[in-house]
Amino acid sequence: MSVKEESFEKALERLERIAARLEAGDVPLEKGVALYKEGMELVAACRKRLEAARMEIALAGEDGSPRPFDVEAVEAGGAADSIGEKTRDS
Amino acid sequence: MPHVFEVSELTRSIKDAVESEFPFVWVRGQVVNLSRPGSGHVYFALRDANASLTVVWFRGAQGGKMLADGGRYDPLTGEVYEDSLSDVLADGMEVMVAGRLTVYAPRGVYQLVAEVVQEVGAGKLWLEFEALKKDLAAKGYFEAARKRPLPHHPTRVAVITAPTGAAIRDFIRIGRERGYGAAVRIYPTLVQGDAAPMGIVRAILRAVADDWAEILVLLRGGGSLEDLWAFNTVEVAKAVFASPLPVLTGVGHEVDVTIADMVADVRAATPSHAAQLLWPERTQLIQRLDDLDMAVRRAMERLLAVRQRDLAVLARGLSWLSPVRRLMRLEDAFDGMQMRLGRAAETWTGGLSRTMDGFLQRFSRRFGPESLDGRQEAVARRAEHLETVLKFYIASQENRLELAAARLTGLDPKGPLARGYSLAVVSRTGKFLRREGDVRPGDNLDIMVYEGHVRATVTDGSSEGGESA
Repeated sequence: MSVKEESFEKALERLERIAARLEAGDVPLEKGVALYKEGMELVAACRKRLEAARMEIALAGEDGSPRPFDVEAVEAGGAADSIGEKTRDS
Repeated sequence: MPHVFEVSELTRSIKDAVESEFPFVWVRGQVVNLSRPGSGHVYFALRDANASLTVVWFRGAQGGKMLADGGRYDPLTGEVYEDSLSDVLADGMEVMVAGRLTVYAPRGVYQLVAEVVQEVGAGKLWLEFEALKKDLAAKGYFEAARKRPLPHHPTRVAVITAPTGAAIRDFIRIGRERGYGAAVRIYPTLVQGDAAPMGIVRAILRAVADDWAEILVLLRGGGSLEDLWAFNTVEVAKAVFASPLPVLTGVGHEVDVTIADMVADVRAATPSHAAQLLWPERTQLIQRLDDLDMAVRRAMERLLAVRQRDLAVLARGLSWLSPVRRLMRLEDAFDGMQMRLGRAAETWTGGLSRTMDGFLQRFSRRFGPESLDGRQEAVARRAEHLETVLKFYIASQENRLELAAARLTGLDPKGPLARGYSLAVVSRTGKFLRREGDVRPGDNLDIMVYEGHVRATVTDGSSEGGESA
């Protein structure tokens, strides 16, 4: 992934600047072509990023290390099987 | 004349006034006139020493949905109620009711639509809640000025909740469809019961200590005031207040506002809403990206079009400056100059000739009686005459030559042969036979006739002892 985790927004901002500069029309052609190329690469990377977007879910262990957490398994367990919230002091 | 209301009109005005003035209220009182018709809704009145208030508690608000075995569970948390207050509610009970005031127009009564009904035991909790709220407000816990904004599209989110609750599932289900990807780390804790407050505090401290997340999210599904009580404790309030990371809460239903919600930097109405606040819709991101994509492409096309026009102009300019064009222009200039030079030369020599002619004329006028032209004409006339004479002379000579030729033709030895004469050559002497005496008998003769030769021998000649031919 050429667009790093935090840089998606930066990529969009960069794209906005590139579009604005090209729209201004006062860039030399070589610079324009370079900006366009960069813009298309950013678009492709962002698109790829969106297509691959997913949520990674982990459970923080007592020792501080995260371990995989399968929320599907919990969902499959059914709503009524909730244990975490059943502890009531009646 | 004052305005005269229609009944409906007035009722509508009262309804608007009541509903906007009391959108959500807590009311404490004694249950009277309780009825449970088949619809499942519960009707009663709240009464104290001086007044009474009609209350309707609709089935859908009675804490959860029916299970097959007749039990109830909370649709948001999945929590199973051991017994619902709506089942045990009875005349004479002291309760606290939370809900909206509304006007029931057909009967012209105002009534409270109950959202939450709690026994007064819980009502004591509510008093504690009010006391704590007052205390914390005084300490500046709820100050808007200290609230931090949510990080923009966080990619590392610590969620403090029960890992098996409906809250986290709702949060994840919504969050998955939003944003461009994020990591969620769940810090598991009890969210209900005596151990819950300390569990929540410890989870917050762990998440902060891990120094991984950009934001803390406190989640808990809906429940009674008692169920949500952990979020109304001073311990949790202090932990939220002290968190160096921004805190987002999504606790209970929309109507439930806990102390933790008020201390948090941002309060979401529900766990699902928390996910919505954290991440934008993915479709919006895709659309924004598409817009930018198109904008860049269009701008580039325009830029290229402009540059192409510039290029055409420059190309025209450049071709004017090209060496070939320069050569052509130089050639044109050269031709022009050559023509001028030629004309100048002609003019000059013309001038010279005229000067010369003038000089000659003056010369001839001075040194000759006739002009040069006159002499030239005389010469020409004489040459003409000479030519005529010469032609005549040549013609006459040709004539003589022809006459001579004709005479010569008559001297041709072969001419008489044609007329029947013949020439005889004496073989012995090789001479023409002219006289009798030229031959003797036995001499051979070669006789030439007009066509061919004849050979003959002399048998008789000359009279003096010769033989005849």
